[in-house]
Amino acid sequence: MASQPRTCGNGDCNLATDEKCVEGYPLEECPHVGRISIEDIQEVRDDAEPTVIAETTIQLDSGEPLDRETAASLQRRRLSRAIGLIGPNDSGKTSLIASLYDLFQSGPVSGVSFAGSNTLIGFEKVCHLARAVSRRVKPHTQRTSVGADATFFHLDLHQEESGLVSFFIGDRSGEDYLAATDELARADEFFELRRADCVTLLVNGEQLADGEKRHDVKAMTPQIVDALVEAKSVCEGCRLAVVLTKKDVVIASPHVERVTREFEALVAQIKDAHSGYLGEIRAFTVAASPQDCEDVARGEGIGDLLRFWIEVPPSPAVEEFRSRAAMPRMIDRFGHDGEGDQ
Amino acid sequence: MSDNSANIAVVGMPASGKTTYLAALWHMVREAGAVTALSFESLSDGNYEHLNALAKLWRQGKIQQRTQLAGMRTVSMRLRSGNGQPVQIMFPDVPGEDFSRMWEKRDLDKGMVETLTAPFILLLVNGDTIQLPAWVVERQALAKAMGLPLQSPAAGIEWSADLAPTQVKVVDLLQMLMVDELDVGPRRLALVISAWDRVADEELTPTELLSTKLPLLDQYLRSGRDPWTWSVWGVSAQGGIYEDPEKGEKFAATDALRDLDRASDRIKVVRDGATSSDITRPLDWLIS
Repeated sequence: MASQPRTCGNGDCNLATDEKCVEGYPLEECPHVGRISIEDIQEVRDDAEPTVIAETTIQLDSGEPLDRETAASLQRRRLSRAIGLIGPNDSGKTSLIASLYDLFQSGPVSGVSFAGSNTLIGFEKVCHLARAVSRRVKPHTQRTSVGADATFFHLDLHQEESGLVSFFIGDRSGEDYLAATDELARADEFFELRRADCVTLLVNGEQLADGEKRHDVKAMTPQIVDALVEAKSVCEGCRLAVVLTKKDVVIASPHVERVTREFEALVAQIKDAHSGYLGEIRAFTVAASPQDCEDVARGEGIGDLLRFWIEVPPSPAVEEFRSRAAMPRMIDRFGHDGEGDQ
Repeated sequence: MSDNSANIAVVGMPASGKTTYLAALWHMVREAGAVTALSFESLSDGNYEHLNALAKLWRQGKIQQRTQLAGMRTVSMRLRSGNGQPVQIMFPDVPGEDFSRMWEKRDLDKGMVETLTAPFILLLVNGDTIQLPAWVVERQALAKAMGLPLQSPAAGIEWSADLAPTQVKVVDLLQMLMVDELDVGPRRLALVISAWDRVADEELTPTELLSTKLPLLDQYLRSGRDPWTWSVWGVSAQGGIYEDPEKGEKFAATDALRDLDRASDRIKVVRDGATSSDITRPLDWLIS
């Protein structure tokens, strides 16, 4: 193989052609031999066409729960209801969302039909651990991440009398809502509640039946509502559903009557404190994801809650907000942090 | 597309019966003496090798090999409608994996956009392999009632998109056909429940099967949220079990199908009580 001509970093040297160092060094001692001259470096042409790799696929909607901007955009398409779900961790918020969706898998719920959803992947994920295909022995639901922004599950529903209505159900970690009782300023972060047509407060039936935890539930549940009303995180006139969850565990406990009595007292306490600010306050009992279905049906009580959600007349504040829906900034639909009622 | 042509997209998840439908259709429109709503007009300049190969296997009672995974073939038929008008019908034969990818991977090959913006959609759902949702509590209660052992706690399976019920995948596919690049406004949809012979024992009409086995899809279509003009059909394009030559299968039931005087007598097309062997009826309804 022929050897390559030697090069020199000194631009005045003709080493490549005459094999001699212009500075008189023996070639093995010359510090420039073998280096590339600045003139050997080709300039990068600015007008060179960048290499374009053709995109061969189109990205489709992720199907995951929506961020606030996307939810705001979808809200403009048709009549919509925003539902705020609040409750301490493990009170059953995600189970309630999963159960509602899964009931539609078998047909209409309380006369309301499924009409579509942009978050089918999100629904399928939260339903998985209660489905037989997960091969679990007991149904389970994944917890919502603490500290993450609220996201929205979307359901378009159809009813003969009211036509199509879009539902946006807010999902946020229970720990975040509890934090508002420690620091009122945290309640300002709850943009998903500020414009909710209906807020749904979950009370953990299993904990209310538990001797060690029941007093904590009785103390903390009204305090969450106090904090949200005090911080005006829910709008005036907003209706409130107070939901006793895990009915299956309650009726299997030896304290059914006590739980019922204490839940009624809890609802009465919230009514006494906030009926002047909030709209209708109504109590419900549900078994979203029972551990067995011998005494309660899967999803029992969810249909009644859905009817309450769908029948909610928009509060004056929400009506005023709807009139702003034509504003060009989609983010306005769920409001900015600290935006407050305007 | 010329004025007298109709572009029909044949859509369906893997093993939904798309290729078998095309094979039976091509045989029937060319079968001597067959009375069909759409009839054979003439051969155009197209290449019929693919269709002829499909129809040959179908006539012999052999199962179709799966549509090749990469790419699609567009098959074209020149037919005549009931009023004598020639109609060129084009069917892109798209692998089912491309549709399951839309659900699982949330993307779409740009090459499919032209196909999926067709004004007429023939959507096949295999009636014999509908994955219904089932719940842990109900499955455990059933096992307990039957005295069967309960499932092991160690046997948990992680979530993946392919585990979703059939009706969820189909609803999402139809929703995707109505938004963004694929949104071409109102369209006609023939929903074909294939392998109808496998569900016939349940004595349901196609409409009843839709509401009982695919209730989420039924609700979605009836709600009218998306502008589909739709109808539902039960179709058995084979009439019974076919043999897999690669497995050396031989069935008496397949021989019974071969014994019929006319190969097209295997076909059953059901629409709410009315049964015929005319496999062109869903297509005729689509383009009418």
